Formats: sequence, C-alpha cells, structure tokens
Amino acid sequence: MKKTWSLFLQDIRLSLQGLYFYMEIIIAVVFVAVMLFVVPDSFSRTETRHVYLELPAPLRSVVVGELEASGATIVLANSLAELEQSMQKDRMSSGLVVSQDGAWLRLEVVLQGHESEQTRALLQATVEGAMLEGVPGLTGRTVTTVLVPNAPRLSDRDSLIPVYLTINVALMGLFIIAAYIFLDKEEGVIRALAVSPLSTGQYLVSKMLLMLFMGLVNSVVVVALLRGGLANYPWLIALVVASNLFGSALGLLIASYFNSMVQAMEVLYTAMIVLMFASYSYLMPSFSPWWVRILPTYSMLFAFREVLFENGNVNLMLIAIVQLAVLGMLAFALAHARYKRTITV
Amino acid sequence: MITVQGLSHCYKKGGPAAVKDASFEIAKGEVLGFLGPSGAGKSTTQGVLTGLLPLQTGQVNVAGFDMRHPKRELYNLLGVSFEQSNVYAKLTALENLQFYAGLFDVPTEDPMKLLALVGLDHVARKRTGEFSKGMKHRLTFARSLINKPDVWFLDEPTTGLDPAIAHDIKGIIREKNQKGATIFLTTHNMQVADELCHRVAFIVDGEIRLIDSPRNLKLQYGERVVEVEHTADGALKTERMSLSAREDQQRLNHLLEQGTVQTMHTKEATLEEIFIAVTGRGLS
Repeated sequence: MKKTWSLFLQDIRLSLQGLYFYMEIIIAVVFVAVMLFVVPDSFSRTETRHVYLELPAPLRSVVVGELEASGATIVLANSLAELEQSMQKDRMSSGLVVSQDGAWLRLEVVLQGHESEQTRALLQATVEGAMLEGVPGLTGRTVTTVLVPNAPRLSDRDSLIPVYLTINVALMGLFIIAAYIFLDKEEGVIRALAVSPLSTGQYLVSKMLLMLFMGLVNSVVVVALLRGGLANYPWLIALVVASNLFGSALGLLIASYFNSMVQAMEVLYTAMIVLMFASYSYLMPSFSPWWVRILPTYSMLFAFREVLFENGNVNLMLIAIVQLAVLGMLAFALAHARYKRTITV
Repeated sequence: MITVQGLSHCYKKGGPAAVKDASFEIAKGEVLGFLGPSGAGKSTTQGVLTGLLPLQTGQVNVAGFDMRHPKRELYNLLGVSFEQSNVYAKLTALENLQFYAGLFDVPTEDPMKLLALVGLDHVARKRTGEFSKGMKHRLTFARSLINKPDVWFLDEPTTGLDPAIAHDIKGIIREKNQKGATIFLTTHNMQVADELCHRVAFIVDGEIRLIDSPRNLKLQYGERVVEVEHTADGALKTERMSLSAREDQQRLNHLLEQGTVQTMHTKEATLEEIFIAVTGRGLS
C-alpha cells in the first residue's frame, strides 16, 4: 500500500505539472458556466398557434380567452387563406379553425404535415381539453392521476448532468489511463519500475487512483455548482468510484492489447461510442432497445440522475454501483493478468 | 550469485532465437562482462536475468530467486542501469531519486550523496527534461545504486560519456565491486570490459562462444611481443621483438645495455583482436 500511495502521489505531482489536470477543471467550469448562462432551464418552446374564428362575438371572446390560457401564442387570422399563409412562414406553428355548426362547436386542427401521429393526437386532445374546460355547459371526462404526488423532477438543464458525468468522469478515464500507460512505456519509466519491488498490480492501481482523484474533483465541482445542497453526495461519490473503476479498468484492458496510443485509439474510440449509445436512450426514452439497456452506461446514467436528488431511488443507485464495480473488477483482473506478462515486453 | 542453464529466448513464436542455449555462472563479488556487437543477444540475456523478459526455456537463478516466477522481494537486492536513460522528465534529479527510493523495502542511499557521486549535485533541483543525454545517463546510473544492490546489472555504463566522467563511473563500479557487489556488465566497449571484468563472455548471434578472464585470453590468443623505440646513428628506430625467441631476447638485452632505448611497450593482443579472432566478427 505504501508503494502504491507513493506512486499515486508521484502521478499526482506529474499531472499537476502537466496540462491534463487543469484541462479537467477548466472543462468542468466551462460546462457549469454554459449550463448556468446558456442552456435554458426548460427546453420546451412556446408554441405559436394561428387561429381563424368563424364565431359570433360573445363566443369568440370566450374561445380566445381559453386558448390564451393554454400558454400558446395566439395569432388571429381573418380568413382561412390568411391562416395558411401565416403557417407557411412559421413551419413549427400549428393552426386551428373554430366554427359553429348549429348547436355544435366545430374544431379543425391545421398542421404542417411533418408532425407524428402522437403529436397530432396530443394536439387534438389538448385543444379539446381546453374547450371542454372553459366553455360553459360542457364537462371533460379525462381524469389524470399520479403515482407519487409532488415527485422530485429535474429541470431539462439538470437532466444533462448525468450525461456529462458519464462522459467526463467515467468514460474519459478509458482514454486517459491508456495514454498514461503508453507514455510511461515510451519514456521507458515502466522498465525502471519493473525492476523495483513495485508489483504490476500496484502500478496499475496507482494509475486508477489518479483517474479516480480527477473524476471526484470534476464531479463534485460540477454537481456542487449546479445542484448545491439538492444532491446526495455520499451516493454520488460511491457511484463515481464504481463508474470510474469500470471506465479505467476497461481502458487498461483495451490498452493491454496494443503497443501505442495510435494503435489503441480505434478500439478505445469504438468502445466509447458504443457505451455512449445509452445516452440516446436516456435523453430519448422511446429509443431503448435491449442491446442498449444491457450496456453498463445505461444504468450508470439513470443512477447519476438519482444521485442528483437528496432522496433518489436507492435500489437504482445500488444496482448500478454493484454492477459497475463487479464489471470493473473483472476487467481489472483480466488487464492485470495480461500486463503481468506484457508490460515490459 | 547468478546461475544460468540452457537459456534460450525467442521474441516471436517459431521465430529465430535471440539467445540460444546460454549457460554460465557468476560468483558472488565477481564482475562478468557480456561482450558482443549490437543484436548479439546481450540485452535479451540481461532482460531475462532482470525479469523484464519472461523466462521461456532453461533455468535462471538470481540471488537465490528462480526467475521463472520471480518474487518482488528480489528487486530489493537488484540494481539495474539501463543503456537508454529512463527518468521522469518533469521531475528534478533529486525528486526522481527520492521517488524511486520510496519503492524499496530496504534501507536506501541518500539521494544527494548519489547525485554528488556522479557529479550531478549542482543540478539536483533541475528538471531532468533539461538535462543533456550524458547527464540523464549518469542519473540512471545513480538511480541503480539507490537500494545498495547486491547484484548490479549495468548496460553500457560509459556509453556517451566524456572520458573524465567515464573514468569516474569506472571508479564507482570498481569501488562497489570491492565492497562485494556482483556485477553483470553488458558492453561492446572492450577497453571497459578489460579494465573492470574478472571474466568476459563473447556472445555472437545469440550464442556464447567463449568465457574466460581477460588475462587468460590474452595469454592464450596474444603474442608475447615487445615494441622498442631506440636511437641508432642519431635516428629513432622501432623494433618488435618476441619475448620467447632467444635471438630477440639477446637483441633486447643488448639495446638495454647500450642505453639507447627511448620507449618500450609489451604488445599483448587486445580483447577486441581476440574477439575478432574467436568469433570472426567485429564489434561495431
């Protein structure tokens, strides 16, 4: 342990004299700044709705009032032709024609044509709902219930934090630890260490500790600045340890099959791309095929989301930590066995 | 201290052997020189003996440790100086030695004392990235002494050094040997081997062709000849005389009695000449 610690301190000293450590801090600070000052809290845009009303004056004012209350920007048109012309100028807008057909209120939703079936149905239901709520004498039949009242919810902006943590804290180690090993090989330092009482395992662990140190600094800085006291820090640290172990060990294992960073780059990059498919599922839950759900980064991303709450889902976090730790240790054992035979050859 | 039996090593499975069936022993306190041209198998042999390369065929025992599965404790007893300098460029000379000292489980030398020994104490706090090649080489040499090794592996210890510093380095090697260190010295510099080694091994194409002491080799392969410069009729003349031919012995006595001898040198064969005679190959 003394030797591993000595080498770890040595690596810290070397990294402080290089650029990488400061780059990590700068990236974290830039990410926080972009999140705070550039990225909006919510990604949903205010929808513009062009409306043509073929209604008598009293009913007209009631309908306009209800539509404005829905939050959309209402642009009134004087004719159907004017409505269509306005919509062509704004391809993200939608249209609505409201007319009276005897005792019936007739609603005609006008769309651009690129909307999905789900969007069309949702829009139709929203308009109908708004009318049913507001027009006197009519009542809605739709009832909405929630499983957890007042459930904590991340803003759209904070929902990006798990993606950042997965890339910069867990997967960046994949590249960086490989780069450190190849640098030691190129400088020949690894040969000097190989003829000292330091074991291969101690050498590899010291490199992983360096990755962990940087991962912890990076993640705590980002989460503290963006979530403050709302996050669960003990779980965050536990998850960073497990995910960093997984990323670093995988990087070691891949690097053990190559003699230089240039040779290893293609495989490292492919591994990172495949692992990052999970972020598509995280950001777009409708895309979640089985092969993405079995990626370790899938549970990692959702667990990182949970640690951002004071009382996140413990089961989700625990399962991810155990899974990542086991996979990390397995990858480390394989990498260690390979390096014992090849590190100085 | 070191026993090698039937050592062979291939870098590629089925490929040519870099070392073929090498066998030798090095006694405690002995200096063995491993001599040969580039690519002869010197560094491969040293690589296996230090555990940097796996032992594939044969038996190797270093300081009581079986090199098929060397234990880490062995390295408390070993010092290795590499031909290619390999120190941390971003650390100072002193930091390099202090860090390396922290890896051993045995009492270590004072890093400043070692730096003074190799003439680097005045740049102890300078980053080694700013060092010349020779300075880095001296630092690598000094680092190999940090754990006061019982067995010392030296790979081209004086290569690239200016004559004065090379002289100092040879002095350090002699001193450590006199204190009991066993030394495995790899070099293609025959003069260094001649000065420092109790025995030398000639290795060519991975095979050890001969092992003996420099003195025995010179006696066996050299001619017992004296080269004499003397004055005759006001001019300087040079003559080579055999020490074994009676006629030449009389001629030498005659010149000495006349008092005309200016210089006189024995002309035994050099190790390089013997190497060429034995292996049919030069060293460069």
